[in-house]
Amino acid sequence: MVFLYGRWRFARAGASLPIVPTTHDVGGASEFGPIAREAGEPPFHQEWEARVFALNRRLLQLGLYNLDEFRFAIERMPADAYLTSSYYEKWFLAIERLLAEKGVVP
Amino acid sequence: MSGHHDHDHDHEGHVESASMASRVGALVAKLEAKGIVREAELDAAVEAFLLSTQRAGGPALVARAWVDPAFRARLFADANRALDEIGVDMTHWAQVKLRAVENTDRVHNVIVCTLCSCYPVSLLGPSPSWYKSLAYRSRVVREPRAVLAEFGLKLDPGIEVRVWDSTAELRYVVIPRRPEGTEGLGEADLAALVTRDSLIGTAVCRANSAG
Amino acid sequence: MTQRFHTGDAVRTRAANPEGHTRLPRYLCGRKGTIEAVHGVYPLPDERARGIALTSCTKEALYTVVFDGREVWRERSSEPLSISADLWDCYLEPERAAK
Repeated sequence: MVFLYGRWRFARAGASLPIVPTTHDVGGASEFGPIAREAGEPPFHQEWEARVFALNRRLLQLGLYNLDEFRFAIERMPADAYLTSSYYEKWFLAIERLLAEKGVVP
Repeated sequence: MSGHHDHDHDHEGHVESASMASRVGALVAKLEAKGIVREAELDAAVEAFLLSTQRAGGPALVARAWVDPAFRARLFADANRALDEIGVDMTHWAQVKLRAVENTDRVHNVIVCTLCSCYPVSLLGPSPSWYKSLAYRSRVVREPRAVLAEFGLKLDPGIEVRVWDSTAELRYVVIPRRPEGTEGLGEADLAALVTRDSLIGTAVCRANSAG
Repeated sequence: MTQRFHTGDAVRTRAANPEGHTRLPRYLCGRKGTIEAVHGVYPLPDERARGIALTSCTKEALYTVVFDGREVWRERSSEPLSISADLWDCYLEPERAAK
């Protein structure tokens, strides 16, 4: 299957194959259309979004992970998940990943 | 489904809202069982955040810059110090280095974070979904005038557009131009003319705009 | 601490990003720009993203670099555009082109 949106690139010729996800690196991409806007948008559309926001802040404060690890965890999600997940869904997926990788929550 | 995202995240095939609520609840419960977080403290943090967003200091900062040229100069030299001067608290949960950028008759500034969604939350409140969208992030560095036109803002062709990609710890705020016909207004009334979008750069202030 | 550049210096961003987390967007790779400001020293996010502690990670000068839109997008335009990004020292090389 050809990714319309994925931008996968191999790190170096001859290196052993890490595929470096760059789906998040969208500056200049032309496939995204008009910018949708919502008048009077609330900070959170669902209560779960607010909890994810607060959870992330707390886990960062506790030092379970740092902000750069958090951003990298978002960047490492599969391209289709990145492109279709909402903003706070991405946050939640990143938090789950980090907690699993660090052995905090299996 | 009730309460679903009306705002677009482009190709949205998102998980059902009820399912996300239960997934989040399950994770919080696990973390609470391990003594890592407490649900009550998360709820309190949300409350505190929502309260703090109501006293976002961007409009006050701009109004002071409009009426006080010496303050304006200090603002562009050191925005954090200028904020301290007028008692605007930037502390969100981490201290942030702020830079104010000046719209003139020759330059129009606009802010983006192409890589994720960095935004001066502690000054402007929570960012709008459009700022975080793939469409805005990808297009505003490439075709800013077309993006601004979508927002209803048409710039004269000779004006330089300056796009600031927030790739590091600095956060940016645009100081829009003071609209014509506001000479008699006091600071509070001036602040009321400063819209959130004008502080990002996707709008300008007008004498009859609502803040 | 590394600070190789000063305000006004001509620089060129590295041609490609290495694997892992970084804060040089691809659309700005391999582009000439000018140091517009020097912001002091900050921990390198490329290392922090791998969990390296603040005490031991590399710290480098952070710069605001400004790019001409025609240089970034490789096309002539009558509509003036400049793009700025905040970039760490190791993302940049000196640009020796004669002006």
